[in-house]
Amino acid sequence: MAATLCSKIIPKQGWLPLRQSVRHGSKAVTRHRKPLHFLKQKLMAVTEYIPPKPAAPPGAYPTETIQVTEESGLVLIKKKQLREVFRDNKMIAVAQNSASSVEDMILLKHRLHKHEISVKFFPNEIVRMFLSDSVYSNLTPLFIGHTVLLVSKEPKVKELLKTVRASPQITILGACVDDSLLSAQGLMSYSKLPSLTIVQGELVSGLTMLTSQTAALLQRHPTHLSALLQQYIKQQSGETESAATTGEAS
Amino acid sequence: MAASSKSRVVLKAVKKIAVQFCPFESNVRATREFLALVGSEKVRATNMNCEVTCVVKHDMSEPVVDIMYVDGERLVMKGAKLTSQEMMSAFQSRCFAKDPQAKVSGKK
Repeated sequence: MAATLCSKIIPKQGWLPLRQSVRHGSKAVTRHRKPLHFLKQKLMAVTEYIPPKPAAPPGAYPTETIQVTEESGLVLIKKKQLREVFRDNKMIAVAQNSASSVEDMILLKHRLHKHEISVKFFPNEIVRMFLSDSVYSNLTPLFIGHTVLLVSKEPKVKELLKTVRASPQITILGACVDDSLLSAQGLMSYSKLPSLTIVQGELVSGLTMLTSQTAALLQRHPTHLSALLQQYIKQQSGETESAATTGEAS
Repeated sequence: MAASSKSRVVLKAVKKIAVQFCPFESNVRATREFLALVGSEKVRATNMNCEVTCVVKHDMSEPVVDIMYVDGERLVMKGAKLTSQEMMSAFQSRCFAKDPQAKVSGKK
């Protein structure tokens, strides 16, 4: 250690001064790692070397393929069941049940079973997937929340509505009867329609009304027919006379 | 959150709840969820006199929830742009304002 001693002049021998200033110079070459000056440290940090990343060889990473998720077995089964439901049953009604209890469900199922209407539950997602592919895609917005499917082979709308009215929580949202979508009011009016045979009978009678009238006329006694024809002639002549008089007057 | 609010819903001050919506519209989700929450057995058991009716229309109208209170006040909520939680909180705050004792006893 080089110590330059700047000592004051010792006036007398043996007398040391009261204050002695000692100056140590800091060395550049040290045995330990000398801490950098702060500015130099900053500069070194900023100007660190960033080596270029080597490009990955072509076979290193798997290619970004589109992930095709296979439908699980349950989904497939449910879809098959749904397809069968839509194929076999003529009437499918969609209802929302806002948390009815188990007893209510049992009662409802029992009452509906008397009219051969069965109650089906399907997960909404599966139903939506299925409907978007099929013809009945307009039923898709109905399937939100807790929905129940009421299906039957014969369109027994009246009985369905009566039974459902008894239980308060079930609200019918819409139905698909004979491949035609119906709203709730449509279902009501459908239930009020008379049965198919009656309607067909009415249509046939309406079309054949005129011909049946003439047939009835002809089948009656001929005097009646002749009287009618004479009356008709009188009416015709009366009309022509009045037409002639009005023509002359004008 | 829905479950906790469901158990606390007390309908003592409510006379009638009428819900109407058109299911083929796209904005009915909140109204339907509200109906499911309010029409459940537990909630209806708090007040057996309260009727919960639902009308399903098909005229592209807005979904509306009409609540009639025992003291004649009406709360009309148009559910087209609301969420079910907002509707529940509004409904519950009204009920609580009407009848704070019932709710407190329910909590206990």
